[in-house]
Amino acid sequence: VPFGIKPGHRARASRRRLSPLRSLVLAALAIALSAVAGGFAYFLPAAATAIQETGQVVGVPSPSPTSLLFSPSPSPSPAEQGAFTVLLLGSDDDSKFSADQVLTQSMILVRVLPATKEVTMLSIPRDLYVHLSTGGYGKIDGAYSYGAAGAAIATVEQDFGVHVDDYIWVGLLGLIKVIDAIGGIDIVTSNPVMDDYYPADIYGGSPYGYQRVAVLAGPQHLDGIHAMQYVRSRHSDIQSDFGRSKRQQQVLQAIRAKAKQLAPSDIPALAAAIGGELKTSIGLDKVARLVPLAATFDNPDAIRQVLLLPPYTQGGGPDGSVTPNWGAILPLVHQYFA
Amino acid sequence: MIMSRFLLAVGLAILMVVTGVTSYFYLGSRQSKVVAPPQKPTAATPRAQAYSLPGTIYLEQSGALYRFSAGRFHQLTPEDGWTQPALYPDGSHLLAVKRSGFFSDVYVLTPYGNVTGQLTNNVAPPRSSWDTGANAWSFYPRLSPDQGTLWMSYDGPKAAGNGYFDVDFAVWAVPLGGSIRQGRAWTTANTYTGGDVQPVPVPGGIIYTKYTYDQAGNRVGQLWFTNRAGSPGKALTSTAAGCLQPSVSPDGGNIAMICTYQKQISYLTVATWNGSSLGALQTVISDQLVAEPIWAPDGSGIAYLAPGGPASPFQLWFLPKNAYHPPPPSPIPPPTPTPGGPHNGPLPTPTPLALPTAPPVRPIQVTTNLGFDGTSPLAWLG
Repeated sequence: VPFGIKPGHRARASRRRLSPLRSLVLAALAIALSAVAGGFAYFLPAAATAIQETGQVVGVPSPSPTSLLFSPSPSPSPAEQGAFTVLLLGSDDDSKFSADQVLTQSMILVRVLPATKEVTMLSIPRDLYVHLSTGGYGKIDGAYSYGAAGAAIATVEQDFGVHVDDYIWVGLLGLIKVIDAIGGIDIVTSNPVMDDYYPADIYGGSPYGYQRVAVLAGPQHLDGIHAMQYVRSRHSDIQSDFGRSKRQQQVLQAIRAKAKQLAPSDIPALAAAIGGELKTSIGLDKVARLVPLAATFDNPDAIRQVLLLPPYTQGGGPDGSVTPNWGAILPLVHQYFA
Repeated sequence: MIMSRFLLAVGLAILMVVTGVTSYFYLGSRQSKVVAPPQKPTAATPRAQAYSLPGTIYLEQSGALYRFSAGRFHQLTPEDGWTQPALYPDGSHLLAVKRSGFFSDVYVLTPYGNVTGQLTNNVAPPRSSWDTGANAWSFYPRLSPDQGTLWMSYDGPKAAGNGYFDVDFAVWAVPLGGSIRQGRAWTTANTYTGGDVQPVPVPGGIIYTKYTYDQAGNRVGQLWFTNRAGSPGKALTSTAAGCLQPSVSPDGGNIAMICTYQKQISYLTVATWNGSSLGALQTVISDQLVAEPIWAPDGSGIAYLAPGGPASPFQLWFLPKNAYHPPPPSPIPPPTPTPGGPHNGPLPTPTPLALPTAPPVRPIQVTTNLGFDGTSPLAWLG
């Protein structure tokens, strides 16, 4: 006889009638369990994507002496409590490039001050001629191609003297899919964006070919492909990459405005769209903390946009690069990112 | 007993499957409406209390032209790049743009969408294996009041040679039915701005939107008026106001426009027009992202496009005239003499009458769940 069971007990139990109460409890338990299972199945793909693409571990070399100059203060002011810096990276990731050897067409350093609900976005020109963390000098957009996110972060940290807490990398196709997944964005395009030599590498079928684009001016609802044309075109912009950076910041803010309208049920579709096109070092736990925080940033005037136009930079560098005026840039960066 | 337990188990299993599947699909159905694609105008009806607009409005969604009349939409063209309808001054035909990947052309259509003619021919072969060719864009077509001249924004002719990156529109005037060689550029675009767009013929010239650089180097829209080809004309609004998309009232005495003030905002603005200059700008709507305002032919208000909700596709809205031209307050009646003969003693102080305050006139949302193109002007036939 098994331990704890009296002889004849099982036989009596099996003959016991099922009381209606027990049946009801069982049914309620079954409903609760299966409802949770249905919800679990609904969010499972999103959870898998989130686990796969968040919390990426990056190896960042030790900070250089320059970055130590502006290392975060050990006792931050009240306004700096909880502040953090994220490096946004956007890349061409079409068939011209192999994975993790892409150029970062867009680099935006974002400083978030939760205490004062202020955000500063500093667009780094992709052609900025800098000392790369992997050695030598070159355009800063090449840093990622030499050593993935770690090299890009290290290059920004050593040259700009900032500490980067996390990074988010998005591929071109990812941005298109994200904007489509959230149902498009509303934006006021500042002027007709015309380009007769726009890359036909996404849907044009030719990684090295060109297409014409004309994004007309004014308020409009843009889908992913047209939003991409708006932020990526630069040939007809006399400010070239700087003008493009300004448009990128507009689109980021429009995405943020739209994201505030989303419901938790939209997460799986969004995750499916992002799949493989987004990587971030931000862990799931931090994402969970940031989502409600982001919803409280509702004052567009509290978002500061910084472009490194002349005199912070000047053209004419090697290989068509832009030469930084560190004497002007570093105090500016220190003002907002220290 | 065993049978009843078996039945209970089967019942619970079915219950669990049904609940699990229901839960899954319920969550799917709870996706926010903001990500739902717009409905076709012909599939969706205006909301129950839809405002009945006089006449017929022509507008565009997803590359198809629609006419909106008596609360119903009728599709005029397939979803094939059609945009920017404009009426002949006599209302007999429509002009519209058909946009392809590398070029766009202006066509003439009947009010029911049948194509009766092509006014431009902007397609061109590539100049090399990788070149985009000498293709051109034509947008924002309008006809002169005498229906003899086609006004449009045109980015041709192309400069010779590859690698020419500056692509700007200029306002062109072309004899209706003539070739572009018979046409003439009326404006000279500022380089690397996108150029001059949205010409509106008015007596003595055209009003159009010119993109320019302000002192800080920002590109911004500005309304201009010019009365002869090649003349720079004169600016009607400041660069700080950032105004575009002009629309002339039926009586010719007012201009509606949108002004962005170089931000991600778009205010509906009206101003008087005396034939050569604008009066003070009056902001009429400042809490919506307004696009493509157009006056009702009977002067009863202004229709425009704006999102139906935060960060959502553009719907058709209507602002009654009282919102920007409130009726004068009713005259205050003089105090009524106290009946009952001569008054002894001091006269009672008359109670001050409160001025009647009309409730604020709010814009009326005419459509829901649709997604009109905010860059395609509306055309309104009375």
